[in-house]
Amino acid sequence: MATDYHKLDDESLIRLIVRARPEALSELYDRYGRLVFSLAVNAVGDAATAEEITQDVFVRVWERASQYRAEQAQVSTWLTSIARHRAIDQLRRQGVRPEGQSVAWADLSPQAEPTAVGPEQATELSIQRQRVRAAVAQLPAEQKQVLALAYFQGYTQTEIAESLSLPLGTVKTRIRLAMEKLRALLPAED
Amino acid sequence: MASELHVAELLPAYALGSLDEGEAARVSEHLAHCPECRAELRPYLDVAGQLALAAPEAMPPVRLKKQLMRRIDRQRTAPEALKGPGWWQQLAGLLRRSAPAWGLASLVLIVALTASTVWLWQRLYGEDSRAMRMQVVALVSTEAAPGATGKLVISTDGEYGTLVVDGLAPLDAGHQYQLWLIRDGQRASGGVFSVNPHGYGVLEISAPEPLASYPSYGITVEPAGGSPGPTGEKVLGGSL
Repeated sequence: MATDYHKLDDESLIRLIVRARPEALSELYDRYGRLVFSLAVNAVGDAATAEEITQDVFVRVWERASQYRAEQAQVSTWLTSIARHRAIDQLRRQGVRPEGQSVAWADLSPQAEPTAVGPEQATELSIQRQRVRAAVAQLPAEQKQVLALAYFQGYTQTEIAESLSLPLGTVKTRIRLAMEKLRALLPAED
Repeated sequence: MASELHVAELLPAYALGSLDEGEAARVSEHLAHCPECRAELRPYLDVAGQLALAAPEAMPPVRLKKQLMRRIDRQRTAPEALKGPGWWQQLAGLLRRSAPAWGLASLVLIVALTASTVWLWQRLYGEDSRAMRMQVVALVSTEAAPGATGKLVISTDGEYGTLVVDGLAPLDAGHQYQLWLIRDGQRASGGVFSVNPHGYGVLEISAPEPLASYPSYGITVEPAGGSPGPTGEKVLGGSL
Protein backbone atom coordinates (compact mmCIF):
# COMPACT_ATOMS: atom_id res chain seq x y z
CA MET A 1 0.00 0.00 0.00
CA ALA A 2 1.32 3.44 -0.87
CA THR A 3 2.53 5.54 2.05
CA ASP A 4 0.63 8.74 2.65
CA TYR A 5 3.54 10.98 3.60
CA HIS A 6 1.25 13.90 4.45
CA LYS A 7 -0.11 11.97 7.39
CA LEU A 8 3.24 11.00 8.90
CA ASP A 9 4.73 12.95 11.77
CA ASP A 10 8.15 14.54 11.42
CA GLU A 11 10.02 11.79 13.23
CA SER A 12 8.50 9.13 10.98
CA LEU A 13 9.65 11.11 7.97
CA ILE A 14 13.17 11.19 9.38
CA ARG A 15 13.10 7.42 9.83
CA LEU A 16 12.05 7.00 6.20
CA ILE A 17 14.80 9.39 5.07
CA VAL A 18 17.29 7.16 6.89
CA ARG A 19 15.93 4.39 4.65
CA ALA A 20 16.65 6.58 1.61
CA ARG A 21 13.05 7.43 0.71
CA PRO A 22 13.15 10.69 -1.26
CA GLU A 23 9.38 11.12 -0.91
CA ALA A 24 9.91 11.60 2.82
CA LEU A 25 12.48 14.33 2.21
CA SER A 26 10.12 15.95 -0.27
CA GLU A 27 7.41 16.05 2.38
CA LEU A 28 9.80 17.40 4.99
CA TYR A 29 10.80 20.16 2.57
CA ASP A 30 7.15 21.00 1.99
CA ARG A 31 6.72 21.42 5.73
CA TYR A 32 9.87 23.31 6.59
CA GLY A 33 11.51 24.53 3.38
CA ARG A 34 9.89 27.89 3.77
CA LEU A 35 10.90 28.21 7.42
CA VAL A 36 14.51 27.33 6.65
CA PHE A 37 14.62 29.68 3.66
CA SER A 38 13.06 32.52 5.67
CA LEU A 39 15.65 32.12 8.41
CA ALA A 40 18.49 31.98 5.89
CA VAL A 41 17.38 34.96 3.85
CA ASN A 42 16.92 37.04 6.99
CA ALA A 43 20.40 36.11 8.19
CA VAL A 44 22.41 36.55 4.99
CA GLY A 45 20.16 39.13 3.31
CA ASP A 46 20.61 37.57 -0.10
CA ALA A 47 18.10 35.25 -1.77
CA ALA A 48 20.66 33.39 -3.89
CA THR A 49 22.83 32.51 -0.88
CA ALA A 50 19.73 31.64 1.13
CA GLU A 51 18.72 29.19 -1.62
CA GLU A 52 22.13 27.52 -1.38
CA ILE A 53 21.86 27.29 2.38
CA THR A 54 18.34 25.87 2.20
CA GLN A 55 19.39 23.24 -0.28
CA ASP A 56 22.46 22.36 1.80
CA VAL A 57 20.34 21.97 4.93
CA PHE A 58 18.07 19.40 3.31
CA VAL A 59 20.94 17.57 1.62
CA ARG A 60 22.57 17.34 5.03
CA VAL A 61 19.34 15.94 6.45
CA TRP A 62 19.29 13.40 3.64
CA GLU A 63 22.85 12.34 4.37
CA ARG A 64 22.73 12.42 8.14
CA ALA A 65 19.16 11.72 9.17
CA SER A 66 20.42 8.79 11.24
CA GLN A 67 22.15 11.26 13.53
CA TYR A 68 18.92 13.02 14.49
CA ARG A 69 18.07 12.48 18.17
CA ALA A 70 14.41 13.08 18.99
CA GLU A 71 15.16 13.38 22.70
CA GLN A 72 17.38 16.41 22.08
CA ALA A 73 15.19 18.56 19.82
CA GLN A 74 12.15 18.67 17.60
CA VAL A 75 12.81 18.09 13.90
CA SER A 76 12.00 21.73 13.10
CA THR A 77 14.48 22.91 15.75
CA TRP A 78 17.12 20.58 14.35
CA LEU A 79 16.57 21.95 10.85
CA THR A 80 16.68 25.60 11.89
CA SER A 81 19.72 24.98 14.05
CA ILE A 82 21.60 23.57 11.03
CA ALA A 83 20.38 26.48 8.91
CA ARG A 84 21.38 29.10 11.46
CA HIS A 85 24.89 27.70 11.90
CA ARG A 86 25.30 27.39 8.16
CA ALA A 87 24.15 31.01 7.64
CA ILE A 88 26.36 32.42 10.39
CA ASP A 89 29.30 30.45 9.06
CA GLN A 90 28.63 31.89 5.61
CA LEU A 91 28.60 35.42 7.01
CA ARG A 92 31.86 34.82 8.86
CA ARG A 93 33.50 33.30 5.79
CA GLN A 94 32.52 36.33 3.76
CA GLY A 95 33.85 38.51 6.56
CA VAL A 96 30.83 40.68 5.97
CA ARG A 97 28.07 41.16 8.43
CA PRO A 98 26.86 44.49 7.16
CA GLU A 99 26.00 46.81 9.97
CA GLY A 100 23.34 48.53 7.96
CA GLN A 101 21.60 45.34 7.00
CA SER A 102 18.24 45.16 8.59
CA VAL A 103 17.68 41.98 10.49
CA ALA A 104 14.20 42.04 11.87
CA TRP A 105 11.50 40.00 13.47
CA ALA A 106 8.23 39.23 11.76
CA ASP A 107 5.24 41.33 12.65
CA LEU A 108 2.02 39.79 13.81
CA SER A 109 0.04 40.11 10.58
CA PRO A 110 -1.28 36.75 9.45
CA GLN A 111 0.50 35.23 6.49
CA ALA A 112 -0.52 32.50 4.11
CA GLU A 113 0.65 29.01 4.95
CA PRO A 114 2.28 26.82 2.34
CA THR A 115 -0.48 24.83 0.72
CA ALA A 116 1.57 21.63 0.35
CA VAL A 117 1.75 21.11 4.10
CA GLY A 118 -0.67 18.66 5.68
CA PRO A 119 -3.43 20.38 7.62
CA GLU A 120 -2.40 19.03 10.99
CA GLN A 121 1.22 20.06 10.67
CA ALA A 122 0.23 23.41 9.18
CA THR A 123 -2.02 24.17 12.10
CA GLU A 124 0.54 23.14 14.68
CA LEU A 125 3.30 25.13 13.02
CA SER A 126 1.04 28.12 12.57
CA ILE A 127 0.06 28.15 16.24
CA GLN A 128 3.66 27.80 17.32
CA ARG A 129 4.70 30.57 14.96
CA GLN A 130 2.03 32.94 16.20
CA ARG A 131 2.95 32.25 19.79
CA VAL A 132 6.64 32.99 19.23
CA ARG A 133 5.90 36.10 17.22
CA ALA A 134 3.49 37.39 19.82
CA ALA A 135 6.15 36.88 22.48
CA VAL A 136 8.85 38.66 20.47
CA ALA A 137 6.42 41.47 19.69
CA GLN A 138 6.13 42.20 23.40
CA LEU A 139 9.81 43.04 23.67
CA PRO A 140 10.90 46.68 23.58
CA ALA A 141 12.41 47.69 20.21
CA GLU A 142 15.95 47.99 21.58
CA GLN A 143 15.82 44.44 22.97
CA LYS A 144 14.47 43.10 19.69
CA GLN A 145 17.33 44.76 17.85
CA VAL A 146 20.14 43.19 19.88
CA LEU A 147 18.38 39.83 19.92
CA ALA A 148 18.09 39.88 16.12
CA LEU A 149 21.79 40.64 15.68
CA ALA A 150 22.74 37.83 18.06
CA TYR A 151 20.32 35.28 16.68
CA PHE A 152 20.31 35.90 12.95
CA GLN A 153 23.85 37.09 12.43
CA GLY A 154 25.73 35.37 15.21
CA TYR A 155 27.16 38.54 16.70
CA THR A 156 28.70 38.26 20.14
CA GLN A 157 27.65 40.83 22.73
CA THR A 158 30.91 42.71 22.22
CA GLU A 159 30.37 42.82 18.46
CA ILE A 160 26.84 44.11 18.97
CA ALA A 161 28.08 46.83 21.33
CA GLU A 162 30.67 47.92 18.75
CA SER A 163 28.22 47.72 15.89
CA LEU A 164 25.57 49.82 17.64
CA SER A 165 28.03 52.05 19.54
CA LEU A 166 26.50 51.04 22.84
CA PRO A 167 28.17 50.27 26.16
CA LEU A 168 28.77 46.52 26.50
CA GLY A 169 26.84 46.47 29.76
CA THR A 170 23.78 47.88 28.02
CA VAL A 171 23.88 45.16 25.38
CA LYS A 172 24.28 42.45 28.01
CA THR A 173 21.31 43.77 29.97
CA ARG A 174 19.13 43.98 26.87
CA ILE A 175 19.88 40.43 25.80
CA ARG A 176 19.35 39.08 29.29
CA LEU A 177 16.05 40.89 29.75
CA ALA A 178 14.84 39.83 26.29
CA MET A 179 15.61 36.17 26.90
CA GLU A 180 14.11 36.24 30.39
CA LYS A 181 10.92 37.73 29.04
CA LEU A 182 10.72 35.16 26.24
CA ARG A 183 11.37 32.38 28.70
CA ALA A 184 8.41 33.54 30.74
CA LEU A 185 6.17 33.82 27.69
CA LEU A 186 7.10 30.67 25.79
CA PRO A 187 6.44 27.24 27.22
CA ALA A 188 9.13 24.65 26.63
CA GLU A 189 9.02 22.54 23.48
CA ASP A 190 7.52 19.09 23.86
CA MET B 1 30.73 27.30 47.56
CA ALA B 2 29.58 26.92 44.01
CA SER B 3 26.49 29.02 44.75
CA GLU B 4 28.68 32.10 45.15
CA LEU B 5 29.95 31.59 41.62
CA HIS B 6 26.63 30.97 39.86
CA VAL B 7 26.52 32.21 36.32
CA ALA B 8 22.75 32.67 36.04
CA GLU B 9 23.08 36.15 34.56
CA LEU B 10 25.16 34.80 31.69
CA LEU B 11 22.95 31.85 30.82
CA PRO B 12 20.52 33.69 28.48
CA ALA B 13 23.37 34.90 26.27
CA TYR B 14 25.10 31.53 26.56
CA ALA B 15 22.00 29.80 25.19
CA LEU B 16 21.94 32.29 22.34
CA GLY B 17 25.63 31.71 21.59
CA SER B 18 26.45 35.40 21.97
CA LEU B 19 28.92 35.31 24.85
CA ASP B 20 32.52 36.19 24.13
CA GLU B 21 34.89 33.26 24.13
CA GLY B 22 36.28 33.79 27.63
CA GLU B 23 32.88 34.15 29.22
CA ALA B 24 31.53 31.16 27.32
CA ALA B 25 34.41 29.05 28.59
CA ARG B 26 33.80 30.23 32.15
CA VAL B 27 30.10 29.33 31.90
CA SER B 28 30.89 25.93 30.38
CA GLU B 29 33.28 25.22 33.21
CA HIS B 30 30.74 26.21 35.82
CA LEU B 31 27.97 24.16 34.20
CA ALA B 32 30.09 21.04 34.53
CA HIS B 33 29.83 21.19 38.28
CA CYS B 34 26.49 22.91 38.83
CA PRO B 35 23.29 20.97 38.17
CA GLU B 36 21.31 23.99 39.34
CA CYS B 37 22.66 26.16 36.52
CA ARG B 38 22.29 23.33 34.01
CA ALA B 39 18.59 23.16 34.90
CA GLU B 40 18.38 26.94 34.64
CA LEU B 41 19.94 26.85 31.17
CA ARG B 42 17.44 24.39 29.67
CA PRO B 43 14.48 26.80 29.22
CA TYR B 44 16.77 29.37 27.59
CA LEU B 45 17.91 26.72 25.11
CA ASP B 46 14.24 26.03 24.40
CA VAL B 47 13.64 29.71 23.71
CA ALA B 48 16.62 29.93 21.36
CA GLY B 49 15.34 26.84 19.56
CA GLN B 50 12.04 28.52 18.77
CA LEU B 51 13.27 31.89 17.56
CA ALA B 52 13.46 30.87 13.89
CA LEU B 53 9.67 30.92 13.85
CA ALA B 54 9.76 34.66 14.38
CA ALA B 55 11.79 35.37 11.22
CA PRO B 56 9.86 37.35 8.60
CA GLU B 57 8.58 34.86 6.07
CA ALA B 58 10.07 34.62 2.63
CA MET B 59 8.92 32.25 -0.09
CA PRO B 60 11.59 30.11 -1.71
CA PRO B 61 11.28 29.82 -5.49
CA VAL B 62 9.47 26.70 -6.73
CA ARG B 63 12.54 25.63 -8.68
CA LEU B 64 14.50 25.27 -5.43
CA LYS B 65 12.66 22.12 -4.48
CA LYS B 66 13.10 20.71 -7.97
CA GLN B 67 16.83 21.40 -7.79
CA LEU B 68 17.03 19.82 -4.37
CA MET B 69 15.23 16.65 -5.43
CA ARG B 70 17.38 16.38 -8.57
CA ARG B 71 20.47 16.65 -6.38
CA ILE B 72 19.14 13.94 -4.07
CA ASP B 73 18.33 11.78 -7.06
CA ARG B 74 21.87 12.20 -8.39
CA GLN B 75 23.27 11.23 -5.00
CA ARG B 76 21.09 8.14 -4.91
CA THR B 77 21.97 6.97 -8.38
CA ALA B 78 25.62 8.01 -8.67
CA PRO B 79 27.06 5.17 -6.56
CA GLU B 80 25.02 2.63 -8.60
CA ALA B 81 26.62 3.82 -11.81
CA LEU B 82 30.07 3.13 -10.38
CA LYS B 83 29.35 -0.40 -9.28
CA GLY B 84 31.01 -3.40 -10.92
CA PRO B 85 28.06 -4.98 -12.75
CA GLY B 86 27.96 -2.07 -15.16
CA TRP B 87 31.46 -2.94 -16.29
CA TRP B 88 30.65 -6.60 -16.44
CA GLN B 89 27.51 -6.10 -18.43
CA GLN B 90 29.37 -3.96 -20.96
CA LEU B 91 32.14 -6.50 -21.23
CA ALA B 92 29.72 -9.41 -21.63
CA GLY B 93 27.84 -7.55 -24.32
CA LEU B 94 31.06 -6.81 -26.15
CA LEU B 95 32.15 -10.44 -26.04
CA ARG B 96 28.77 -11.69 -27.16
CA ARG B 97 28.82 -9.34 -30.12
CA SER B 98 32.42 -10.02 -31.09
CA ALA B 99 32.40 -13.81 -30.59
CA PRO B 100 28.97 -15.21 -31.39
CA ALA B 101 30.37 -18.60 -32.27
CA TRP B 102 31.76 -19.34 -28.81
CA GLY B 103 29.92 -21.69 -26.62
CA LEU B 104 27.91 -20.31 -23.73
CA ALA B 105 30.16 -21.87 -21.11
CA SER B 106 33.30 -20.27 -22.54
CA LEU B 107 31.63 -16.92 -22.68
CA VAL B 108 30.46 -17.11 -19.10
CA LEU B 109 33.92 -18.21 -17.95
CA ILE B 110 35.70 -15.40 -19.78
CA VAL B 111 33.22 -12.81 -18.58
CA ALA B 112 33.59 -14.04 -15.02
CA LEU B 113 37.39 -14.09 -15.12
CA THR B 114 37.64 -10.69 -16.78
CA ALA B 115 35.07 -9.11 -14.51
CA SER B 116 36.66 -10.49 -11.36
CA THR B 117 40.04 -9.21 -12.51
CA VAL B 118 38.56 -5.78 -13.10
CA TRP B 119 36.82 -5.91 -9.72
CA LEU B 120 40.00 -6.92 -7.93
CA TRP B 121 41.95 -4.23 -9.73
CA GLN B 122 39.38 -1.62 -8.74
CA ARG B 123 39.42 -2.78 -5.13
CA LEU B 124 43.18 -2.88 -4.80
CA TYR B 125 44.10 0.29 -6.63
CA GLY B 126 40.87 2.20 -6.18
CA GLU B 127 40.77 1.83 -2.43
CA ASP B 128 44.47 2.37 -2.11
CA SER B 129 44.39 5.64 -4.00
CA ARG B 130 41.33 6.80 -2.09
CA ALA B 131 43.02 5.93 1.18
CA MET B 132 45.98 8.07 0.21
CA ARG B 133 43.74 11.11 -0.05
CA MET B 134 42.08 10.58 3.31
CA GLN B 135 43.39 12.68 6.14
CA VAL B 136 44.32 11.23 9.50
CA VAL B 137 44.66 13.40 12.59
CA ALA B 138 46.58 11.97 15.53
CA LEU B 139 45.13 13.01 18.87
CA VAL B 140 47.49 13.51 21.77
CA SER B 141 46.56 12.77 25.37
CA THR B 142 46.59 15.35 28.14
CA GLU B 143 47.72 14.85 31.71
CA ALA B 144 44.15 13.87 32.54
CA ALA B 145 44.43 10.72 30.40
CA PRO B 146 48.01 9.49 30.27
CA GLY B 147 48.47 6.66 27.81
CA ALA B 148 45.32 7.39 25.82
CA THR B 149 45.56 7.66 22.04
CA GLY B 150 43.17 8.63 19.30
CA LYS B 151 42.95 8.91 15.53
CA LEU B 152 40.47 10.91 13.54
CA VAL B 153 40.06 9.79 9.94
CA ILE B 154 38.50 12.31 7.53
CA SER B 155 36.91 11.25 4.23
CA THR B 156 38.47 12.23 0.91
CA ASP B 157 35.93 14.99 0.35
CA GLY B 158 36.48 16.35 3.87
CA GLU B 159 32.80 15.86 4.75
CA TYR B 160 32.74 12.89 7.07
CA GLY B 161 34.94 11.21 9.59
CA THR B 162 35.36 8.55 12.20
CA LEU B 163 37.06 8.79 15.55
CA VAL B 164 38.85 5.84 17.10
CA VAL B 165 40.22 6.04 20.63
CA ASP B 166 42.08 3.62 22.82
CA GLY B 167 43.29 3.68 26.40
CA LEU B 168 40.63 6.06 27.71
CA ALA B 169 39.22 5.34 31.14
CA PRO B 170 35.70 3.85 31.09
CA LEU B 171 33.27 6.34 32.66
CA ASP B 172 30.35 5.91 35.01
CA ALA B 173 26.79 5.83 33.64
CA GLY B 174 26.36 9.54 34.22
CA HIS B 175 29.21 10.60 31.94
CA GLN B 176 30.37 10.23 28.35
CA TYR B 177 33.19 11.53 26.22
CA GLN B 178 32.34 14.33 23.80
CA LEU B 179 34.23 15.32 20.68
CA TRP B 180 34.59 19.05 19.96
CA LEU B 181 35.23 20.53 16.53
CA ILE B 182 37.07 23.79 16.95
CA ARG B 183 37.20 26.73 14.55
CA ASP B 184 37.76 30.42 15.22
CA GLY B 185 37.56 29.77 18.94
CA GLN B 186 34.07 28.28 18.58
CA ARG B 187 33.39 24.69 19.56
CA ALA B 188 30.76 22.55 17.88
CA SER B 189 29.88 19.10 19.13
CA GLY B 190 31.00 16.20 16.95
CA GLY B 191 29.10 13.64 19.01
CA VAL B 192 29.29 11.75 22.28
CA PHE B 193 30.62 8.28 22.86
CA SER B 194 31.60 5.76 25.50
CA VAL B 195 34.47 3.31 25.58
CA ASN B 196 34.43 -0.40 26.36
CA PRO B 197 36.02 -1.84 29.52
CA HIS B 198 39.37 -1.87 27.67
CA GLY B 199 39.17 1.83 26.89
CA TYR B 200 38.46 1.37 23.18
CA GLY B 201 35.73 3.35 21.42
CA VAL B 202 34.60 4.42 17.96
CA LEU B 203 32.44 7.40 16.94
CA GLU B 204 30.97 8.23 13.57
CA ILE B 205 31.38 11.98 13.71
CA SER B 206 28.39 14.25 13.31
CA ALA B 207 29.67 17.63 12.15
CA PRO B 208 27.42 20.63 11.49
CA GLU B 209 29.82 21.66 8.71
CA PRO B 210 32.28 19.66 6.60
CA LEU B 211 34.67 18.04 9.04
CA ALA B 212 37.81 19.28 7.32
CA SER B 213 36.66 22.88 7.84
CA TYR B 214 37.51 22.49 11.54
CA PRO B 215 41.26 22.77 12.07
CA SER B 216 41.35 21.47 15.64
CA TYR B 217 39.68 18.80 17.70
CA GLY B 218 39.35 18.04 21.39
CA ILE B 219 37.68 15.45 23.59
CA THR B 220 36.31 16.19 27.05
CA VAL B 221 34.40 14.33 29.73
CA GLU B 222 30.78 15.51 29.84
CA PRO B 223 27.50 14.57 31.48
CA ALA B 224 25.86 11.65 29.64
CA GLY B 225 24.25 12.85 26.41
CA GLY B 226 26.71 15.70 25.99
CA SER B 227 26.83 19.42 26.73
CA PRO B 228 26.22 22.53 24.58
CA GLY B 229 29.85 23.50 25.17
CA PRO B 230 32.85 21.81 26.77
CA THR B 231 32.54 21.66 30.52
CA GLY B 232 34.76 18.79 31.66
CA GLU B 233 38.41 17.86 31.59
CA LYS B 234 40.10 17.62 28.22
CA VAL B 235 41.58 14.17 27.62
CA LEU B 236 42.68 14.23 23.97
CA GLY B 237 43.36 16.92 21.38
CA GLY B 238 44.89 17.45 17.98
CA SER B 239 45.00 19.59 14.84
CA LEU B 240 44.88 19.07 11.11
